[in-house]
Amino acid sequence: MATKKLRRAKLSQELCERLSRYQITTCQDFLCLSLLELMKVTGESYRNVQKLLRKVSLACAPKMQTAYEMKVRRSINPSAAFLPTSLHSLDKVLHGGIPCGSLTELTSPPGCGKTQFCITMSVLATLPVSMGGLDGAVIYIDTESAFSAERLIEIAGNRFPTYFDSDEKLFCMTRSIHLYRELTCDSVLKRIKSLEEEIISKKIKLIIIDSVASVVRKEFDTKLQGNLAERSNFLARGASLLKYVAEEFSIPVILTNQITTSLSNGLAIPADLVSPAHDLSLSEVTGASGSGKKESACVTAALGNTWSHSVNTRLILQYHDLLTRQIVIAKSPVAPFSTFFYTVEKSGLVLQVIHS
Amino acid sequence: MQRDVGSLPLSPALRARLLAAGFQTAQELLETGPCGLSKEIGISREEALEALQVVRQECAGDAAKTAGGSGSTRKCTALELLEEEQTQGFIITFCSALDNILGGGVQLTKITEICGAPGVGKTQLCMQLAVDVQIPECFGGVAGEAVFIDTEGSFMVDRAADIATACVRHCQLIAEAHQEEDHLQALETFSLESILSHIYYFRCRDYIELLAQVYLLPDFLSEHSKVRLVVIDGIAFPFRHDFEDLSLRTRLLNGLAQQLIIIANDHKSAVVLTNQMTTRFGQNQSMLVPALGESWGHAATVRLIFHWDNTQRLATLYKSPSQKESTIPYNITVSIPLGMEIQRWEQSFGSTEIVRGRQT
Repeated sequence: MATKKLRRAKLSQELCERLSRYQITTCQDFLCLSLLELMKVTGESYRNVQKLLRKVSLACAPKMQTAYEMKVRRSINPSAAFLPTSLHSLDKVLHGGIPCGSLTELTSPPGCGKTQFCITMSVLATLPVSMGGLDGAVIYIDTESAFSAERLIEIAGNRFPTYFDSDEKLFCMTRSIHLYRELTCDSVLKRIKSLEEEIISKKIKLIIIDSVASVVRKEFDTKLQGNLAERSNFLARGASLLKYVAEEFSIPVILTNQITTSLSNGLAIPADLVSPAHDLSLSEVTGASGSGKKESACVTAALGNTWSHSVNTRLILQYHDLLTRQIVIAKSPVAPFSTFFYTVEKSGLVLQVIHS
Repeated sequence: MQRDVGSLPLSPALRARLLAAGFQTAQELLETGPCGLSKEIGISREEALEALQVVRQECAGDAAKTAGGSGSTRKCTALELLEEEQTQGFIITFCSALDNILGGGVQLTKITEICGAPGVGKTQLCMQLAVDVQIPECFGGVAGEAVFIDTEGSFMVDRAADIATACVRHCQLIAEAHQEEDHLQALETFSLESILSHIYYFRCRDYIELLAQVYLLPDFLSEHSKVRLVVIDGIAFPFRHDFEDLSLRTRLLNGLAQQLIIIANDHKSAVVLTNQMTTRFGQNQSMLVPALGESWGHAATVRLIFHWDNTQRLATLYKSPSQKESTIPYNITVSIPLGMEIQRWEQSFGSTEIVRGRQT
């Protein structure tokens, strides 16, 4: 929208030529100038410049819709608003499942089950709508080479044995999962830019990026000067591209993230500004990932504050004890804080009920 | 009348010609007349007439200003201002503690900024305000409509519908308790459908769309004169990436702030902005501060910062011309479907409505 040429904004031909002599060709260039500069550049009076500004703004501004129209559109096709995760209690609290049209982030220490969750969601997306799926293909961008096709078939066969009763059905499902191995930030960004066309041509209904953190943290060492700004820039650009694609096609996007420790000696983040969504040590962590006492180091989701603002839903996976783990809904526009326990089995993630 | 020709809002080429021909004051221009002007400078009669009309309008505006009439600059006594402020409505947030520290609620004609860490409840408050601004006057509201400009994509229609339903229910309970004629009459038009139809939603994907939308906002507000609230959810998001030229960003933000102040005053509406928090590295500690820099801090009249204290959400009034700094706890509750509980923000005691913590 910003790069729209002024010709298409219905300005007169001679005005466009005059502006191009000053290197003003897109709406972005036009709107970034102050009124006095515009007067000088267009040679028009104050009132006329204001009229021109309004004309160019009309070409760029978004369309208005009332909240009621949005609701009506949603209710016409309710199943298209969520992708159920098949973990029923989780789906109930999330008002349906992973929301379509926004970014969902999965954060956890290593080995908790992020990739397992992503593989399960890929299977679910290919299922027909009657079974709670989206009946479409999946794009899986793998930066850690952690995707295992055998595990995919195992989960599908064990979770939905009645549906995947023949090899033919299994192969059909695997054909609709498009796996891309990207190992650098640049290639990930290029892949994200190419998503729009792929979604239309391959009828994609789910995008998974596993994981954003590993490729970003490999390349940007935040201790070096300037890297922090560049990293935020890359993440913000990626996030806005993904948001655009998610909203435009109304599909869910799942991203995975890692954990980082911020040491409290020296660089202390005051406890009152770090939310429980970030400070995982606030929920009692015993067993596998801690000795049961609160450590002075504070464990947070990686990739920084700006990234936390960009994602709309955040699910945190943690260790509870040797076998069970827990999912915490840390940030969601529709659900309150909730915790669910699960184990990882042959059929993927299975919710457990813990009686304490 | 003695206004200098160089200061008139004519096109630069025309101004240059007038100055070259030796004209110095507006008076001279008006005396010459369109025919004389066109012959002397070498422009067509129509152009000369247009220029003179602009000059006449400007001079009339100037004269009105010096005579103390209404122009683009207002002049009034503090007493008149006091009377105006006292009759002005507030947009209540349904959290009495929050309304108290704000001095009654979100004020009209002022810019309020809400900063906070991710997930703390900024969008929830904005959706709440977009519903609360529509409460009819007999229930204590301002009976206005709302414009919601979304840059982050976090507006959820279902959640807004939940909030609206709870608000209608709350008003119904009040009407049942008081049994007054105008309450029941107002309730007829105050329904979920009407509330959602009066929230005008714009989704801006980058800063250019945001700038364009704010330029077009005065015209939109003139058409929809009942709008009393403009929410920009996420003023920081579009400005935080893709900006190599920080001075351009500061200039655009300042221009945006000025336009919003004009909109707030001219249309008697409240402007609510939400901002992100960013990390600032000090000598021995890193702090979270509101994003967009120090100069942006001057744009808003009232600044609220939402933060956490262990698991309790707190709101701090950080900057206000009339209220003192204070902090209150708040919670976000979820309504229970049978309609017994009201979906609103309550004070911290009695918060058993929250579904939180362990699932046992």
